[in-house]
Amino acid sequence: MKKEKRGFAYYAHIYKMILLQDLKSKMSYRADFIISTIGILFTDVAGFISFWILFQNFPEIKGWHYYEVLFLYGFSLMAMTPVQCFFDNNWNLMEALYTGNFMKYCFRPINLFFYFISEVFDIKGVGQFIFGVITVVYSWNKLGILLSFRNIAGFFVGVISASLFMIAIMNFAASASFWMSGGTSQLMILMFKFKDYARYPIKIFNRAFQIIFTFVIPIGFMAYYPSLYVIRPEEVTVLTYLTPFYGIVLVYLSYLVWMKGARQYSGTDS
Amino acid sequence: MEAIIKMADINKEFKVLKRREGIRGSIRDLFSRDYQILKAVNDVTIDIMPGEMVGYLGPNGAGKSTTIKMMTGVLEPTSGEILVNGRVPYENRTRNAQDIGVVFGQRSQLWWALPVIESFRILKEIYQISDRDFKDNLEYYDALVGASELYHKPVRQMSLGQRTLCDILAAFLHNPSIVFMDEPTIGLDVSMKSKIRELVGRLNKEKGTTIILTTHDMGDVDALCKRIVIIDKGRMIYDNDIEHLRSYFGAYRTIQIQFDRHAEDLDNEVLQQQALEVEAWLRSEFAGSESIAVSMEENWIQILINEEEVHMMDVVNCIQKQRQIADMNLQEISTERVIRKIYEGGIV
Repeated sequence: MKKEKRGFAYYAHIYKMILLQDLKSKMSYRADFIISTIGILFTDVAGFISFWILFQNFPEIKGWHYYEVLFLYGFSLMAMTPVQCFFDNNWNLMEALYTGNFMKYCFRPINLFFYFISEVFDIKGVGQFIFGVITVVYSWNKLGILLSFRNIAGFFVGVISASLFMIAIMNFAASASFWMSGGTSQLMILMFKFKDYARYPIKIFNRAFQIIFTFVIPIGFMAYYPSLYVIRPEEVTVLTYLTPFYGIVLVYLSYLVWMKGARQYSGTDS
Repeated sequence: MEAIIKMADINKEFKVLKRREGIRGSIRDLFSRDYQILKAVNDVTIDIMPGEMVGYLGPNGAGKSTTIKMMTGVLEPTSGEILVNGRVPYENRTRNAQDIGVVFGQRSQLWWALPVIESFRILKEIYQISDRDFKDNLEYYDALVGASELYHKPVRQMSLGQRTLCDILAAFLHNPSIVFMDEPTIGLDVSMKSKIRELVGRLNKEKGTTIILTTHDMGDVDALCKRIVIIDKGRMIYDNDIEHLRSYFGAYRTIQIQFDRHAEDLDNEVLQQQALEVEAWLRSEFAGSESIAVSMEENWIQILINEEEVHMMDVVNCIQKQRQIADMNLQEISTERVIRKIYEGGIV
């Protein structure tokens, strides 16, 4: 008799299989892999250089120093990795809906969101992750942050929680395609661009943007709030502690919206 | 025997927003909730027995895919009763999905970048196929079509024919009781078409799988289906044996004629003109018989008649009196023609 219940272990096992196979086949296209990794690294290095030039001219921005902002930058790069590696297929959602290819996901006995998202694993994010790690380690050192358990654990919990926000934002943006027939790719690009603001301390923006980046498009949680715990413990706010919970809630909500959209879509398509 | 798919008085309605014209209309649309009810499926009742192979036909937009979606549990009917494998499909989509397979002609469901065998292995885990069943099926596939030659090729490097073949094999891998096929031979060349048809026929016979075949290709229907169901504008207009259909139209004949020895050199317009003339002659001679239809096919002028209304020889004589016939051909009505006749006139 087949097992009726399909729990975490079942999905983890299938995901691992798809991932390993996909990695194997990606490696066989080595040029593609190397070029795209180099491409992403160039983008990151360019971002780094603009930073460097900025701080050559202004030693600080509203009380924020070079290494602190660099830390936020590295932090946000690391937090971007999960959404880029594991949730990249959201970018293909609009086309799948447009061509009708999305229907094929509806006929398997597994969770629709899982099936769709698991199809693509984008290895390009790994290069960026490494760049992020180097940036964080470098600025951590320069800032002279103590290598205590509190700081290290706080950092890891912070990065993982921060990564949830971009996942949620991109899920929300992608699921707009279920209801709207055009323009959602622009919406996704716009949302994706917002991540560039995540590397700045929210405090340097004016009041309106502070509120927007905290509650509307919560990119403040992608680096600033969780980083405070490590780089400016004296400025930690309640939002810092809320980061993990808020992140989980948002990802879950975005999943519900995505699934609702998927159900509604299959209903209206002829 | 109990029916494997039971649909009784199934209706499916969609709410569609009424769109207005122009920019002002679009802006008003943003705020209006002026819905229109669209009946996609109207009082459809079908019973399908285990092991049957049913051709499910209808013009585009007739409601075929809506029906299929209801059978697969993707859509919930507005009203009516539906049971697939004794279960209500939309109440448990995933449980239902475990017992069905789906094949789309041009859309591969396999993992694009992976070799086929790896896709099969992932499917083995998804459907929790036992090692034994998996091995048996792979051996069976090998005996059937020599499938192992394709196993290590990534899907994206395959020809459409190879891909379709693998997609069909993948759909049967978990031994589903029903497989839905949507135009499995679309875009394939003649020899691949017949290969796919043979494969589908054997899978149906040897595995006893119920197959619902949606297609516009009458070759598929002729080769595979005993029973056909035709749906148009959401209503079922035919459900019976294909033999019954042929005997119903048994009195229909197609006469093909050419007035010139080298008709293939003639302009299309000239032929068109000839066809119109022929039609005019026949209309005046046999004013009472409505079945007569004149059309063009390649270089031939084609006349469809019902022998219960007019005799073939009378028709030929009538034309011959007006103009010398150079070449002539007599055919029984093709399934394609029959189906078209049903779509057009609702003869049944």
